[in-house]
Amino acid sequence: MKKKILSFVGVTLLLCLVMVISTMTGSINVTFLELIQGLVTGTNEEVAVIRDLRLPRVIISVVAGSALAVSGALLQAVMRNPLADAGIIGISSGAGFTSILAVSFFPALYFWSPLFAFIGGAVACLLVYSLSWKSGLSPVRLILVGVAINAVFSGLSDTFNYRGSYTVTSVSPTTTSTLAMRTWTDVEIMVTFGLTGLIAALLLYRSCNFLALQDKTVQNLGVSVVRTRLLISTVAVLLAAVSTAVAGLIAFIGLLVPHISRLLVGSDHKVLLPFTALTGALILLLADTLGRTIIAPNEIPASIIMSIIGGPFLIFLLRRSDKVSGS
Amino acid sequence: MEVNDISFSYTGEQNQLQQISTNIQHGKITTIIGPNGSGKSTFLQLLSRNLTYNTGQILLNGKEINQYVAKEFAKMIAVVHQQNIAPDDMTVEKLIEYGRLPYRKAFQSRQKDDQDIIEWALSATKLTDKRNKHLAELSGGERQRVWIAMALAQDTPFLFLDEPTTYLDMYHQIEILELVKELNEKHQQTIIMVLHDLNQAITYSDYLMVMKQGKKIKEGKPIDIMTSEIIEEVYGVKAKVKKDEDHPLYIVPIGIGKEW
Repeated sequence: MKKKILSFVGVTLLLCLVMVISTMTGSINVTFLELIQGLVTGTNEEVAVIRDLRLPRVIISVVAGSALAVSGALLQAVMRNPLADAGIIGISSGAGFTSILAVSFFPALYFWSPLFAFIGGAVACLLVYSLSWKSGLSPVRLILVGVAINAVFSGLSDTFNYRGSYTVTSVSPTTTSTLAMRTWTDVEIMVTFGLTGLIAALLLYRSCNFLALQDKTVQNLGVSVVRTRLLISTVAVLLAAVSTAVAGLIAFIGLLVPHISRLLVGSDHKVLLPFTALTGALILLLADTLGRTIIAPNEIPASIIMSIIGGPFLIFLLRRSDKVSGS
Repeated sequence: MEVNDISFSYTGEQNQLQQISTNIQHGKITTIIGPNGSGKSTFLQLLSRNLTYNTGQILLNGKEINQYVAKEFAKMIAVVHQQNIAPDDMTVEKLIEYGRLPYRKAFQSRQKDDQDIIEWALSATKLTDKRNKHLAELSGGERQRVWIAMALAQDTPFLFLDEPTTYLDMYHQIEILELVKELNEKHQQTIIMVLHDLNQAITYSDYLMVMKQGKKIKEGKPIDIMTSEIIEEVYGVKAKVKKDEDHPLYIVPIGIGKEW
């Protein structure tokens, strides 16, 4: 109990601290006092630039980090599989593909891009589910099918970006995320859809807990396993889709964060989901802040940092999954 | 509970269960016995709606079991499976509380009568002082009792147990069976269970149902149906069926039959 409270307080404090530091530092540096004064009075020009360019980025990192981490926790509950992550199993790239299609063909519907992303994410999720289901989901088979689905959708997105042009940028927004050049419109989208999904997720904590039992046990308790799975998957895909539509594709957050959170606060989703949300926000913001300050004025995208940390972590989990898959 | 002529197959080709009919006596303990792969567990899964039969019907209080709403059915029948999974860091009481799910509306929290029944389930299974322990801290016998307690919290007239004593040592096997008997006698629960040990089955059951290769071979009171012939026919084991003053009936296996 004490450990849980300490963990919560620790993560919350760290998150606030990193948010402030992240807002203060970069190509323009201001002090904490200048920042607060500038934000309140609006007279400091440097702070005005920060407000227009850097603050949206910080807010988006925070919400997208939460959304991706919680999405991972939900998918892991639904698939009863410690290796599920929207980025790894292709949900994010499916979402990215439909979102870029929609934005290209109907630019006026930009605000609703998360919903288009949702369609692609849902298709990918359904495919992974049906192709890897064989009287249960084995962690390794899920990853293999997921990698294939991921490849197909990233390929489709890349094809769409390419369109025979020579001026292809080396970093495509659907396969990596830079989080740079985000506006307050993006913040609005991210916060509207992201918070909706997060609240829905927190309300589903009981259902997530049921799924930790066997299907037949849950059924004998009068709960529809199919309906529960569908509901939780929908929220998980929505969260991944919003993040992908606004912040681009970032893998491994949904894998790393719930795992660390489980070690710190246990497997009860009532506590696990909020903690995962906080930790996810902290980790992505940290990755993005490091990425843009470490070799300034150049940037390393947050998604690349996450891949560098996340890859080895996935191997570590895979090696353990022989044990995990049995339970 | 009435079973009429049910058949079932996993694949659609070969029938795992063939035309089984029986009448489960309410308020009694019925035990299903038979060799591995005889369809005992499958039969129990069909009775508890975890599997769906292909033909025939199963009636519960005159109504076909498929017609029940999931929650209503969960208020009638509770099941303890052979293997059960729950997170290691879950507490005993939390798990038992899941038994109250069929009585809850969405987002409703624990009520007074939920609390009473949880207390009763804890004391009936002698787990009251272990209520705040994590499942990982319990022994095999205790963990099995927790699952039974969860089924008790469902407050059902029927309790199904699929090999409740497997993986337990002798002391804990008998402990579980005594608990089952007590539940039947004190609370008039109708018990259907699957057991492997014939002597335990004889001692603790009012009725036996003998299965082999997906068929019902025989059913009735232990004293009426347990003979050396039936044991050899079903298990391929030569055994002596004995009686003395202290024991109405017991079985001593003496070897494997010639041909099986």
